[in-house]
Amino acid sequence: MNNSMPDSRTILRETWNNGTTLLAYPNLTSPAVYFTGYMQPGSIADPGEMHGLASFTTDMLMTGTRHLNFQQLHDKIESIGASLSLSTGHLSTTFFGQCLREDLETIWSLLVEVIQEPAFTEKQFKRVRNQILTGIAIQNQDTAEMASQAFNHALYGSHPYAHPEVGYAQTVSAIQLEQLESFHANHYGPNGLVMAVCGGIEPDVAREIFSRTLGTWQNNTQSPPETLPPFTPPASSIRSHVALEGKNQSDLIMGVPAPKTVSRDYQVCSIGNSILGQYGMMGRIGKVVREKAGLAYEVSSHLGAGIGPTAWTIVAGVNPDNLEKAIALLKQELVRFRSEGVTEQELQDVKTQAMGRLPLSLETNAGIASILVSIERYGYSLDHLRQLPAIIESITAEEILDSAQRYWDLEKLVIASAGKALE
Amino acid sequence: MPINLNHNLHQFQLENGLRVMLKEIHTAPVTSTWIWYGIGSRNELPGKTGLSHWVEHMQFKGTRKYTGEDIDNLVSRVGGYANAFTSSDWTTYFETMPSAHLHATLELEADRMVNSLFDPEEVETERTVILSEREGSENYPEFRLDETVQLHSFQSHPYRNEVLGSKEDLIGITRDDLYQHYRNYYQPANAILCIAGDISPQAVLEEVENLFGGIQSVPVNRSIPTPEKTLNHSDLVEMEGPGEAHYLEIAWRCPAASDPDFFAYTIIESLLSGPSSLNMFGSGSINNRTSRLYQALVEEDYAASVFGELSANIDPGVYKVFATIQPDGNPGAALKVIDEQIHQITSRELSIREIERAIKQARALFAYSSENITNQGFWMGYASSFADYQWVAEYLTRLSSVTPSQVLKTAQKYLREDQRVVGVYRASNAQEGS
Repeated sequence: MNNSMPDSRTILRETWNNGTTLLAYPNLTSPAVYFTGYMQPGSIADPGEMHGLASFTTDMLMTGTRHLNFQQLHDKIESIGASLSLSTGHLSTTFFGQCLREDLETIWSLLVEVIQEPAFTEKQFKRVRNQILTGIAIQNQDTAEMASQAFNHALYGSHPYAHPEVGYAQTVSAIQLEQLESFHANHYGPNGLVMAVCGGIEPDVAREIFSRTLGTWQNNTQSPPETLPPFTPPASSIRSHVALEGKNQSDLIMGVPAPKTVSRDYQVCSIGNSILGQYGMMGRIGKVVREKAGLAYEVSSHLGAGIGPTAWTIVAGVNPDNLEKAIALLKQELVRFRSEGVTEQELQDVKTQAMGRLPLSLETNAGIASILVSIERYGYSLDHLRQLPAIIESITAEEILDSAQRYWDLEKLVIASAGKALE
Repeated sequence: MPINLNHNLHQFQLENGLRVMLKEIHTAPVTSTWIWYGIGSRNELPGKTGLSHWVEHMQFKGTRKYTGEDIDNLVSRVGGYANAFTSSDWTTYFETMPSAHLHATLELEADRMVNSLFDPEEVETERTVILSEREGSENYPEFRLDETVQLHSFQSHPYRNEVLGSKEDLIGITRDDLYQHYRNYYQPANAILCIAGDISPQAVLEEVENLFGGIQSVPVNRSIPTPEKTLNHSDLVEMEGPGEAHYLEIAWRCPAASDPDFFAYTIIESLLSGPSSLNMFGSGSINNRTSRLYQALVEEDYAASVFGELSANIDPGVYKVFATIQPDGNPGAALKVIDEQIHQITSRELSIREIERAIKQARALFAYSSENITNQGFWMGYASSFADYQWVAEYLTRLSSVTPSQVLKTAQKYLREDQRVVGVYRASNAQEGS
């Protein structure tokens, strides 16, 4: 990897008439190439109560094309040691893959084939449906997953983000093969597709391969992107619990709506979040809940990022008998975060950490490709990485205190847990 | 492009026995420092399982020179990341940092090799943290099934024990047990220091001499278990509990990583259940949709997913296959399908093409992870913990020399129906099919 920071001089960014965009950055010391990106649709395009339709459609893409059955398709990918995966989120479908540099055209050609010409056979439809239903059955017994679903239901209410992308057993069971085919024809298309690639390939070569593959994709029936409905945060605090039998640990999530990702507030809260539950052994809450009280192996805070609404959360896994004690300790820390703010030393530590971590995030092709995708998704400048240190340096303790008070409204806290039934 | 892992590799040994491996990689201003101790659950005695893992936790709690908070700050303040892992054969600590801060990590590792405090109050707090770590794992039926299958896969060898330790032992272990374990095993002569990244080897070696050279080694009082080369019985372990999906796990004996059979076994694994990556940091994987077991089980609706795990260990270990069975599926039917696939692989030779395919996959997985300096640091000590660095440096060459007849003989030797443990977890909320 070269030592220069990816910027407007070194990142290739090009758009095509069909609405696709390519970002490429070279790492010619690597014999491998990593690529990732996103396209329409996301699960917000699921019509009515058909939760899981977009995700199910995406799962079908990798089961064969009009020219290659399942075995032939995967044999082509795996026999060269490559990988290719797709998955659907709320707002878009992401794809990612990896291969040796000499195999990039092969893999991108296959990507084009699976997204343009999926076979949608009855046999694979039944098999994939069974796999999804089994996955949902497993998730329904997973304390972390069920706490997360309960949290999303409580926080997002009637907004589409309240539902898991994969859907529910009942909705997935009702989906028919024809609905998947129709959904695919109307929603999958080149418009809005973004691809980022990094590794042992010159950007100009990547551009040529992209031109011959994804750059040629046309779909005149592709629907325009779905518009996200407005999000109304809860008006008061919500507490929910999912009782699961036979669990030795309960999982807990507490949180509030997060600031918009592209905003000054987000940068400020990101530094505040590190102090709260990331820095070192999981920040302040790690110190109190894990290091001092010994209540949890896992406790940390997370600031969500995305185009739509996201959450600022604290997660922990605790013994069921200690659940309420952990909640009380975490609330105490939030009160302190809101009233005392952060110290200059804490702020300085986290700033130097954030700046020191920049070169480490560029250690791998996957790390760089992921940054390129974020630059495109959030509309940042190609010089974003160069601008970031000055933004971080300018954040003050007063701003963090102000944002903590505005966002961590303890009167509107959403708390969800899953595990042993509450007494 | 061939991947030469010996390129820019420098190896030394200090007078106190500390082995030092340095690898110059100037692609990014980053260094990754790893210190490996030859201690894991393999060396633990009955009643004291989990000691090595707990000692690893205590190494973050402070010395006379560094408080626990200092240790956090030392790495975090400069944007680095650090962690530690305990396995059956080894315990390791690493810090990946901007290269300007290498000295600080070396100072820390030299200090906590001998000066950790094991404060009694910290020991008690950590006891509940580790119990919580274990309880988190116990939430998953797969963990409980795997722990039971592992236990039945060895008669007395400590590989039968979960690295986290049993709940009973974790409740009974004392501060003195931990400290004694630490003082016994944390010796320069029982350690390998590996540094990869943006370094000048001569300057780093001098620094290492200064910081570690004065630490005296005393002989380690090591419990060395007798290897169990064969699994002399077949066993069926059946469990039932909450859940909606069933799980099936099969364990066969596999040879020690240093055994020549191991490479033929690697080809078998690649073919049966998909290739495993040797690296630890997720730099690439292969989807495993074309393995024989995936095709036979998932494509034919006997299971929702299947994967395998071949572990590289000092002593003979186990090769495991795990299958998740749909709520209306039948673990017994899935087992029959696996048996048919095992019969095929033990009754006729593979084609050269199948072996070449496995090698290409291994080459790709190597390429994905070689871009990562942290992985390069990991590989040096990892391979040296159960064999030597040439094991990983020559991995692709040795795979390439495996012949179809070696694969057949290895499969016949190890994948025997009368020498395996089968574990079944039946979900009580599911309706088992026929």
